[in-house]
Amino acid sequence: MNSSKTIYVIVPAYNEEKTIHAVLNSLIKRRYNIIVVDDGSSDQTFNIASKIQSENELYLYKHAINLGLGAALKTGLEAAIKKGADIVVTFDADEQHNPDDIKEICKPILHGSAEAVIGYRNFNHMPLPQRMGNLIMNALTRIFYRSNVKDSQSGLRAFSRKAAKVININLRGYGVSSEIIREIKINNIKMEEVPIKTIYTDYSLSKGTNTKEGLRIFSKMLLDIIKKV
Amino acid sequence: MIYQIVGVIIGIFGIIISIFRFKERKTSLGMLFIWIIIWLIIIIVSLLPEATSILANMLQIGRGLDLILILGLIGCYYLLFKIYTMIENLENEITQLVRETALKNEKKSDQIKEGEEIK
Repeated sequence: MNSSKTIYVIVPAYNEEKTIHAVLNSLIKRRYNIIVVDDGSSDQTFNIASKIQSENELYLYKHAINLGLGAALKTGLEAAIKKGADIVVTFDADEQHNPDDIKEICKPILHGSAEAVIGYRNFNHMPLPQRMGNLIMNALTRIFYRSNVKDSQSGLRAFSRKAAKVININLRGYGVSSEIIREIKINNIKMEEVPIKTIYTDYSLSKGTNTKEGLRIFSKMLLDIIKKV
Repeated sequence: MIYQIVGVIIGIFGIIISIFRFKERKTSLGMLFIWIIIWLIIIIVSLLPEATSILANMLQIGRGLDLILILGLIGCYYLLFKIYTMIENLENEITQLVRETALKNEKKSDQIKEGEEIK
């Protein structure tokens, strides 16, 4: 992207050995600064990323144990701010995002019309189990954080440096997506929502919120609540 | 009754601690909510022990045992509360530790390239 602003793309990865190579290469091709946070993967994710790093510019961090998506994003955000990023983008490692969308979600920040951008997926194109899960999460975000967004669980987001510094992540797991929405709201950060494409491969569907995984995440959320009471 | 006063004081104390922890952002909104409900139940049961007599009658528990049960339950809940807050603090500390170690041990591609040039 032709701009004086430096864009850093954070890729949180947990056991993504099948897709990490393709995802990183697609980002390298577009010449973004890339920060990979391996969240204690037990597979080859870190080794694959290191191998790519030996031939390309790439910042690589590894959590010694698996902490969860929230912690991985926090590490990535902190690293990006330290490196002097003007814009920070979060990008899932499971190949579900189109790398060309990064340009689109950065535009509102480059034009100064927003400090935070959430890419929203078209729920009509989403298989039913995914759609149900995401609609429920949107409803929960609305009830608990009083923030009405089109896609609270989207993994593709962009933040200005200012917004990235203000956003305070406390949750370790998947709840982080909703927490970010809340942080945007309570800190009065100007937010825009931009439509993004979602690529549904068999793999990303198996990794994403399908019925089985959805139930698993839901029971995990319930367990988390019970555990934390 | 002494146990009534003790129950109410512990309940209020619990609510204050819960709100305090929420303000320090150590617990989430949902947890605060659930804990306040639990502490409120303890306060209500302390103030209106008659409310429990229906249950006591159903379970055929005598009055003497009631006192011990109530005190025991309050004590157990308080201990559980303490243990969970401790575990939560530990979790947060471990998270911070792992994250900071990761940030310090950044693997830079430049370093590898320099290393190769030296060879």
